[in-house]
Amino acid sequence: MSSAPLIATDGLGKSFGTEPILRQIDLSVGAGRALLIHGRNGAGKSTLLGLLAGLLRPTAGVALLFGEAAYRLEPAKRRQLGLLTHQSFLYANLTARENLEFFARLYDISRPRPLIADWLARVGLAAAANELVRSLSRGMEQRLAWARLMLPDPQILLIDEPFTALDAEGVELAVALLNRALARGAAVVLTAHQATAPAGLAPDFRELHRGRLIAPDTRPHARALVVDPAGARVSFGAA
Amino acid sequence: MGAFGALLRKDLRLELRAGETVLTLIGLSILILVAIVFAFNPVGGAQDAATAAGALWVAMIFAGTAGATQALAAERENGCLRALLVSPLDRALLFFAKMTADLVFIAVGQTVAVIILVLFFNLDFDRRLAAMALPLALGIIGFAALTTLLAGIAGRLRAGALLLPLLAVPLFVPALIAGVKASALALAGAPLADRLIWFKILVAFDVLFTSAGYMLFESVVTEG
Repeated sequence: MSSAPLIATDGLGKSFGTEPILRQIDLSVGAGRALLIHGRNGAGKSTLLGLLAGLLRPTAGVALLFGEAAYRLEPAKRRQLGLLTHQSFLYANLTARENLEFFARLYDISRPRPLIADWLARVGLAAAANELVRSLSRGMEQRLAWARLMLPDPQILLIDEPFTALDAEGVELAVALLNRALARGAAVVLTAHQATAPAGLAPDFRELHRGRLIAPDTRPHARALVVDPAGARVSFGAA
Repeated sequence: MGAFGALLRKDLRLELRAGETVLTLIGLSILILVAIVFAFNPVGGAQDAATAAGALWVAMIFAGTAGATQALAAERENGCLRALLVSPLDRALLFFAKMTADLVFIAVGQTVAVIILVLFFNLDFDRRLAAMALPLALGIIGFAALTTLLAGIAGRLRAGALLLPLLAVPLFVPALIAGVKASALALAGAPLADRLIWFKILVAFDVLFTSAGYMLFESVVTEG
């Protein structure tokens, strides 16, 4: 597996007006690696994901995906980028299947029907395939959002609060999907309020505090849920 | 054609399911035409051609503005627009797909408005009425391009729904004048040569705002 960073930032900063939201963010995530960035509300986590996804223009430094500026990433490279936030990115008046069909066409996936059926089954929504998204529960909508995210097999995954609105089974499913992506060499950046990861997922941890990334070893108070490589045992330890 | 077709088909499917945009367009068109009929009390026939043409274009402006606001609102719900921006979709294609959907919705609304106009203004379904189709089509293209571009700006603002008509109406004035003149001349049975200058203005407006949308839409929908 290559260790070249698929995601990197160099002195990345973002201000809205005169208000600095992010300052001097330097990070790097290689293929097959996951980084969980945690911090309080307003720490700048969503802004950082917006910058990495190329949805926001940096006011300082640069965010790089595949070695190219995220803000100007060419469409072919964007095909390898997956973003999931607290919003589902799903059309409420389309059915679960129609939503996936639409995104499959957008990503130019050939012969998408069997793949969509497979993904609906994988996220436990085969029986709800023809239901409008607006009639799904929040948890079901979030599962569908995971299917939408994973449908094109992206190489870079940016996920804001990945386990929000999911029940225990949903979290287990999300962890399995993330591990599958990591196993095929994807790079993953997750954000969360807490420095904890569910059992079975072993990301690196960094804290975002008032717009700055704090090095892991400078936070003696911080404790993260550490998972052994087999995912069989968990314990609390320094992040 | 793949992504463009997918976007257009999705918009039309959403509209067929909810009917919000076209129903808004038709409802507002009827209200505006009724208000104008009461205000001007037309006696019918070609002598009211200018009033009838004006009524139709006023209905298009206000109903079309409301339609454009709703068309892009669906993309903002659940953050769908962000999903489109992150996707490999060419962002200029997004403009053309949204513009085409808007164009279809306005055209449907205007077709109903023309039928109502014929009834209210006691017009005939004849060659004069048919001659109004060209200026109306050119106007709809320009208006769809303008409002799609402006809806991209307005959608990012808190008072966007209010801002859209404030921006769209003044910018549409040149096309509005040309469209009303061309339509009134068509209804009055004037020869094509008399209407040609107005067609040229409408075509110029269409080219200007379609090009502007193509070049600027990416900037207006992406965040700062």
